[in-house]
Amino acid sequence: MKLLARYNRVTLVTTVIMMLITGIIYYFTISLILTDDIDKDLEVEENEIFEYVAKNNQLPQVFESNDQQISFSEATQGAIKRYYIDTVYKKSEVHRRHRRRHEEYESGRALISSVSAGGKYYRVAIVKSTVETEDLLKIIFGITIGVILLLLLALFTANRLLLNRLWQPFHNLLKELRSFSISDNKTIPEPDTNIDEFKELNHAVAAMSSKVKKDYKELKTFTENASHELLTPIAVINSKLDSLLQTENFSQQQSKLLNDLYTSVSRLTRLNQSLLLLVKIENRLVDGDEEIDLKPIVEELLAQFEEIFNDKGLKVTFTGVDKTLKANRYLIDVLLNNLLSNAIRHNITGGQIVVTLTADSLVIRNTGDDTPLQSDELFKRFHKSSSSEGSGLGLTIAQQICENLGFGLNYQFVNGLHTFTAKF
Amino acid sequence: MKILIIEDEKGLRESIEEYFTEAGNICETASTYAEAISKVSLYRYDCILLDITLPGGTGIEILKKVKENDHQDGILIISAKNSLDDRLQGLDLGADDYLVKPFHLSELRARVMAIIRRKNFSGNNLLQFHELTIDLLAKSVKVKNQAIRLTRKEYALLLYFIANKGKVVSKNAIAEHLWGDGIDMANNFDFIYSHIKNLRKKLIEGGCGDYIHASYGMGYKFTDQ
Repeated sequence: MKLLARYNRVTLVTTVIMMLITGIIYYFTISLILTDDIDKDLEVEENEIFEYVAKNNQLPQVFESNDQQISFSEATQGAIKRYYIDTVYKKSEVHRRHRRRHEEYESGRALISSVSAGGKYYRVAIVKSTVETEDLLKIIFGITIGVILLLLLALFTANRLLLNRLWQPFHNLLKELRSFSISDNKTIPEPDTNIDEFKELNHAVAAMSSKVKKDYKELKTFTENASHELLTPIAVINSKLDSLLQTENFSQQQSKLLNDLYTSVSRLTRLNQSLLLLVKIENRLVDGDEEIDLKPIVEELLAQFEEIFNDKGLKVTFTGVDKTLKANRYLIDVLLNNLLSNAIRHNITGGQIVVTLTADSLVIRNTGDDTPLQSDELFKRFHKSSSSEGSGLGLTIAQQICENLGFGLNYQFVNGLHTFTAKF
Repeated sequence: MKILIIEDEKGLRESIEEYFTEAGNICETASTYAEAISKVSLYRYDCILLDITLPGGTGIEILKKVKENDHQDGILIISAKNSLDDRLQGLDLGADDYLVKPFHLSELRARVMAIIRRKNFSGNNLLQFHELTIDLLAKSVKVKNQAIRLTRKEYALLLYFIANKGKVVSKNAIAEHLWGDGIDMANNFDFIYSHIKNLRKKLIEGGCGDYIHASYGMGYKFTDQ
């Protein structure tokens, strides 16, 4: 649920309830006051009757006026108690046009009282129409409802406009966060707002992002430095091994040991170089684009690996169209090399590799294990099958290169073939 | 040939020196920027092996100095700084080649020999080893004036062997030289064996002496002894 909707719901419901309560209180207060007013009028009338009776010792003439009726009826001595009552006011008037009496019932208020005149005890009923009071109340009620509706509308519109504008800095920040990339140098801009909360939020996010970036940068620098520092000792080991080899006269056991050493050192070297390369690509330190004709490069690479294909008995087929790209040659070389290496490394003896170059993609399919691989794990650093002799960085580097070059690289398992597709 | 090794890492410097020292070669070393500067300003070398990071200065400065004075020394940069920029800058400033640490000594030697051959070109593009004649321009090989047909990789392998004659060259070094970085995906180096067998067979069939010898299952040695 959107904040605005939630906020609207709460404020609007509260407003409606409050207005209703106010309306009810208003209604009762006013009707109380008005009833009180009518009661006073009735009392005045009563007093007039009493005065008249006191003066003339007889009942006054009954007449109807001013929406007021007075009636007398004989009653037993002392049976009438004085009280006010809500009653019905029977209004009868002569309709001018129809020339006949027309009766109408209206709500009314009555004062029942008693008077003694001429030795007789009378019940006095003074009834007053309250239709005007009711009308007044109706108007008040109508106005209240109208105000409620108007207020709701005003609140709704204002909330909508105001909140949308108020939250603009928040949405801006959200947009910044969505486009946040740990590796670029963009900082979160100052918000265009004077709302403290948003300023604070922005500062917190900016501080967090710069800290994350700094840590990430330090980590990368560390990786780079560590790899760099390792290079020299590896270089020394390598050269010492080469020197050792010159001393000759090795026993079979010694030569096997030396061979193992050579293999391990060269793995170490490659691992190290892969790490350095990865850091460099991630930092986008490799640039310099040129026009590249992809087809001859692929063909050359396949020719380069011919002996390795033969060694593993791999059947390699290549179909391609002429495709030129604007990219860094070195990155393209590494990309192709890594993808092809992957296809060779995880292949089976006597398997096949199918390379297809089209105008918008390069697809490398290879035989291998019959089970599909986890495509989201595949490109992670140091993710490799237990039998793999590789560095575990080849596909990570390939993916990073694709990202740098704006290509998409994905994996699928189609018809028993592990399929890597680089979309240009 | 006269070689100057400018490298601050003692272990590496000694290994290189040892590998290059043989009859007819003079190897000198420098371990600091100052030492290197004084040597390159006093003496001339066929090839200078130049490390980029040195105590007291950078190899790039030394390279500039040599080029400013218009000296014709061949220069091979050996550096741990595997950045493309460094490589390009080095080559732009007139270095002849660039080799990234770590490397095989045989690879270093092959590169140095290539530089020296280019420097001492003087119209002669023929490399001679007993009855073997290699035309470096035409990339053709003759045994006693009889051409033998080698594949591109066999030719590269033969050059590599000749550059490292008398040295045991490891299978790893050969594999990396011929197949580059992609080589680690091979399960074993058996295919190198068949490759070398082919080269050897072609040379012997062409009437050449048997110079390629397997060495303890670790590598091969090209020697006339």
